[in-house]
Amino acid sequence: MSLHPYFEIVVFVGVALIFPVMPLILAWMWRRFFQPPKPGAAKNATYECGMESLGEAQIQFRSQYYLYAIIFLIFDVEAVFLVPFAVAFTGLPVGAFLSILVFLLLLIEGLVWAWGKGCLNWAK
Amino acid sequence: MITLGNYLTVSAMLFTIGFAGVMLRRNIVIILMSLELMLNAANLSLVAFSRFHVDLRTSLPNYNAQVFVFFIITVAAAEVAVGLALIVALYRARRTTHVEDLTTLKF
Amino acid sequence: MSYFDLLRLAWPEASIVLTALVVLAIGLTNRGTRPAITLLAMVGIALAIKNVLRLPHDAILFNGMLVISPLTSLFKIVSLALAFFTVALAQSESSLRHYAEYIAILLLACVGLMLLVGSEELLTIFIGLELLGLSLYVLTAFDKIDIYSAEAGLKYFLFGSTASAFTLFGISLVYGMAGSTSLAVLAQKLSVTNAQPLLAAGIVMTLIGFAFKIAAAPFHLWAPDVYQGAPIPSAAFIASGSKVASFVVLGKILLVGFDSARGSSDWHAMIAGWSPIISLLAAMSILLGNFVALAQTNVRRLLAYSAVAHGGYTLLGLLAGDRDGFSATLFYTTIYALTLLGAFGVIALVRRETGGDDLQNFAGLGQRSPLLAVCMSIFLLSLAGLPPLAGFFGKFYLFSSAFRAGANHGLLWLVALALFGSLISLYYYLIVLKVIFLDERSTTATAPAARPMLVEVATGVLAALVLLFGVDPSGLVARIVAALA
Repeated sequence: MSLHPYFEIVVFVGVALIFPVMPLILAWMWRRFFQPPKPGAAKNATYECGMESLGEAQIQFRSQYYLYAIIFLIFDVEAVFLVPFAVAFTGLPVGAFLSILVFLLLLIEGLVWAWGKGCLNWAK
Repeated sequence: MITLGNYLTVSAMLFTIGFAGVMLRRNIVIILMSLELMLNAANLSLVAFSRFHVDLRTSLPNYNAQVFVFFIITVAAAEVAVGLALIVALYRARRTTHVEDLTTLKF
Repeated sequence: MSYFDLLRLAWPEASIVLTALVVLAIGLTNRGTRPAITLLAMVGIALAIKNVLRLPHDAILFNGMLVISPLTSLFKIVSLALAFFTVALAQSESSLRHYAEYIAILLLACVGLMLLVGSEELLTIFIGLELLGLSLYVLTAFDKIDIYSAEAGLKYFLFGSTASAFTLFGISLVYGMAGSTSLAVLAQKLSVTNAQPLLAAGIVMTLIGFAFKIAAAPFHLWAPDVYQGAPIPSAAFIASGSKVASFVVLGKILLVGFDSARGSSDWHAMIAGWSPIISLLAAMSILLGNFVALAQTNVRRLLAYSAVAHGGYTLLGLLAGDRDGFSATLFYTTIYALTLLGAFGVIALVRRETGGDDLQNFAGLGQRSPLLAVCMSIFLLSLAGLPPLAGFFGKFYLFSSAFRAGANHGLLWLVALALFGSLISLYYYLIVLKVIFLDERSTTATAPAARPMLVEVATGVLAALVLLFGVDPSGLVARIVAALA
């Protein structure tokens, strides 16, 4: 008997569903049958231990974060070009090495510029 | 068996969802995400075409499109960077990130 | 093909990138004064033009990713010249706070133009489009004080990146059908495969992105806002450089790559293909651009709607489809770019003196500064297409090539429409001239401050060029025709 090639994935999805859902159901049943409801101030708090939460949940992020995100993004994507280069490194001529150096220098100039402009300082 | 047609269907669906998002959503950040979805739909179809365009002599797929995808990923990142920068510039000038508020320029 | 050859053939582009990097670096030090940066950028562009002239006559790299031919060299020089004049306009623009960055991004946009012009391969064309587009979005939103600038930039970005996503998806479908991204191979493959729906979808979607770039109706919505909201040098560069490069590359894609899927837009024998789509775009642009321009009170917005109409006229040459038609398109778009750059130069000077660019700000310009008024009338009358200005010959060449094309004068309907459109356009250009020469000067005009020399000189040179190409267009036309041979 031959199974469908994606049968394992279906099994995986099933297991992945059962693992989180089963404990939840068990906990719910435990509360339902064995635990009398006794609400109190401490019990109704968002977290029973730890810090009190401050302010609203829906807040706007400062635009400062966006600047970091933008700079991170550029250096993140650079890897797309570096990884194939690294894999093929041994078979490549010197010119390829110099080209990738130029590519890195372009990115570094960007970083130096951002640094020089003070984009990396956290403005209070 | 998964055929080229299946990939293209998914890719067309992704593209349509992205375009609908661009047209219908009001928040610019979400519009930006929908734009990314459109670009990734193109990526998917390029990779699928590459996989199914097998060279008969070498029996290797046609890798042109995969290189193309690398460049698209980079361009998409640059586009997000520029988009976010424009959103920040707009927010500083207007205190809004909603497209309905972009109405000072009209005939 | 060694890396050294690659560097030699791409040296004009590389030298512009180097100039941009040096400009950025100087901007970081406190030595980056405006005149120094302007001078540096101008020298860099001049050197790049010299490098273009020293390129070999013919070379093709990597299946057409970089093509050196008389045509690409000519239009690289045109792009560089347009960037040169734009830098001259930017020098005195007081609203640009980060001047070094502005010039650096302008130079990168110029590299995008050169990549677009100099490649016959879809991947490089896409990268050129994106480099150009992303730089222009930033240039549009550069004015931090003006509230219109950021809004115009964001609108341009949203429309532009949606259009480029369409183009990209179209390119992926075309690649899937033909198995290659090189235009030459594409043409070969498409001529043997018969029409498939997927291919048709691919071609249409690819064209959407270019229709956006040349602001053809109904993809023109960004143009009025950007022309009005962007800083003046950015608007001038968008109106000139971006348009020229887009027409060059659109012509190459349509006439080389998709040539076998042309169809026909003759009124007596419509055949499905890209030709009917383009003719529809052209007709809509001519009608909508001209009629909406009639109602404008802001000169920059008026120029934007007239740009939509001019985009429509320029498409006629591509519809004609032969060598004559393509050269007419190239001639017209080059002349148009020079004219519009000059007009934006005049607008920059008027805005500097009166603080605005509405129609009433131009009142009394004829008395205030007669020379400037004469320049503006040269530009506007050339746009309207009156002899002996360059616009007249451009239109004549364009319409006559479209008239002769096809069997039995099939494009007659579009030529008639274009002539009708030109007639309407004469009216609104004359209204601007009437305000300049006949209306009383408004009281709001402040005393004429010291005018920036560079802008005045650039505007004068552009006016002289428009006049020169009108009196004797044979030099440029011969060059373009020879380049297409």
